[in-house]
Amino acid sequence: MPLPIITLAQLGDPTAAACEGDFCAIPDHHEQAIINRKLDEDAV
Amino acid sequence: MSEPIKVDIWSDVQCPWCYIGKRKFEAGAAAYAAQGGGDVEVVYHSFELAPDTPVDFDGSPADYLAQRKGLPMDQVEQMLERVTGIAKDVGLDYDYDHVHQTNTVISHELIHFAKSKGRQLEMKERLLDAYFVRGEHVGRIPDLVAIAVELGFDEAEVTEALESHRFLADVKADVALAQEYGIQGVPFFVIDGKYGVSGAQEAATFANVLAQVQNEREAV
Repeated sequence: MPLPIITLAQLGDPTAAACEGDFCAIPDHHEQAIINRKLDEDAV
Repeated sequence: MSEPIKVDIWSDVQCPWCYIGKRKFEAGAAAYAAQGGGDVEVVYHSFELAPDTPVDFDGSPADYLAQRKGLPMDQVEQMLERVTGIAKDVGLDYDYDHVHQTNTVISHELIHFAKSKGRQLEMKERLLDAYFVRGEHVGRIPDLVAIAVELGFDEAEVTEALESHRFLADVKADVALAQEYGIQGVPFFVIDGKYGVSGAQEAATFANVLAQVQNEREAV
């Protein structure tokens, strides 16, 4: 028998990084942060 | 004095975002406290991301991902490098070259064992550090016993607890509760039993949610 879902009010950024199953995706904003950091590092 | 805000966190030992999220949550809770916030009580719950992984997986996390997801090895290595960089930003020195991909169910049993002694948070931190930073094996009983003994637990008692799987039912109960909450990914934070926060959010987000809960309590 399926378990009943307990309803929670969701807060925070819905695109925050998380692992699902055996995969841990890197959200776009982190990708952009990495690109920005690399650009900064190259500029130094 | 008001009751502490309870934060239930679902997390797996081999989840890179869980360790990063742990640091971000801790920073958020510290910011909340610095702003005059009250006490926060944290309880970790077990979540198995890949329960079908063998204890002695023959290969690295990169091999594992490449095999399981069918991704090209260079793409997998690039992903791990990126996560390692993000971990560094919160002070964690991930060492994927020495990570032992494994089944984490017994490490969750050990966390429940430590919880029964009032030392869950210490064990949770130690196992995440073992897996991501120290390159220790967190799937085998002898390795887990060694970690527990290092923390000062009784060797015979912890060996008996893990070999008898005395805490397996607690692990499965956590997994079942996660299903009841509809949790599909980790880390997942349930705050005061009514708010769900998914993923490794920014510290400020956690601080804001805790402050919101406190304000709501004070408004009643």
